[in-house]
Amino acid sequence: MAAFRWGSGSPSAPPGSARRCLAAMADEEEDAPFEEDAEDAGGGLDGGQGKRKRLFSKELRCMMYGFGDDQNPYTESVDILEDLVIEFITEMTHKAMSIGRQGRVQVEDIVFLIRKDPRKFARVKDLLTMNEELKRARKAFDEANYGS
Amino acid sequence: AADGEEPGLQPCAAKKVKLELKERKEKKQKVDEDEIQKMQILVSSFSEEQLNRYEMYRRSAFPKAAIKRLIQSITGTSVSQNVVIAMSGISKVFVGEVVEEALDVCEKWGELPPLQPKHMREAVRRLKSRGQIPNSKYKKIIFH
Repeated sequence: MAAFRWGSGSPSAPPGSARRCLAAMADEEEDAPFEEDAEDAGGGLDGGQGKRKRLFSKELRCMMYGFGDDQNPYTESVDILEDLVIEFITEMTHKAMSIGRQGRVQVEDIVFLIRKDPRKFARVKDLLTMNEELKRARKAFDEANYGS
Repeated sequence: AADGEEPGLQPCAAKKVKLELKERKEKKQKVDEDEIQKMQILVSSFSEEQLNRYEMYRRSAFPKAAIKRLIQSITGTSVSQNVVIAMSGISKVFVGEVVEEALDVCEKWGELPPLQPKHMREAVRRLKSRGQIPNSKYKKIIFH
């Protein structure tokens, strides 16, 4: 994990919080594995946006409903959103590559880019903090089990 | 304070700052606990439909593998797990901003969900004019 600091904040989390955040993480995100998604048939990014295979249709529908749209959003609207998201990520990635360590995307760069957007900044801060706590909790759990 | 004193805080001033920081931290924890409690009260009074929507709001997420592949296809190098986590997170916030704006547009035009492409496009237009959508293609005119 990068050595940069968020500012104020204790370096070690109080004991109860790891359990709380494990529960919160379970609620919060679908537990998607990090290795290649088996059922995704190699979504190609070549060609125009019309030809590109849809990457996030299922997830976007759930997201739109969660944010207030109908339970069954229109496919055309989902497609527009997907294109927007891909454009957003592409822009962010290019910008991140052009600052800090050139040609690479690092967390510090992303944080710098969104520093003026309070919602996104707070969200990244929470996510990364939670991830650290989770890693620590898992490590402690593994070490505890190793003995028995 | 007289001249000739060394720069930096005197011992009692340093203690004061430390106490202030501690108080602020305790206050923040209390505010967090209050907020957690309020959320619990709110969620417990949700209708079934609201619970469904809230669950989707919490659980929906971009597949990490696809995001990772997308970023790596642009950089040409590998990226760390934290980068994928951060990017997925802010992308979801971005989706929320667009959908909420589109819902405002929809309501303003006296129409109902499901959101239509025209609502999405108008939402994007508004967000862009507020500088909430990154766009490096726009030629910035610095001197008028």
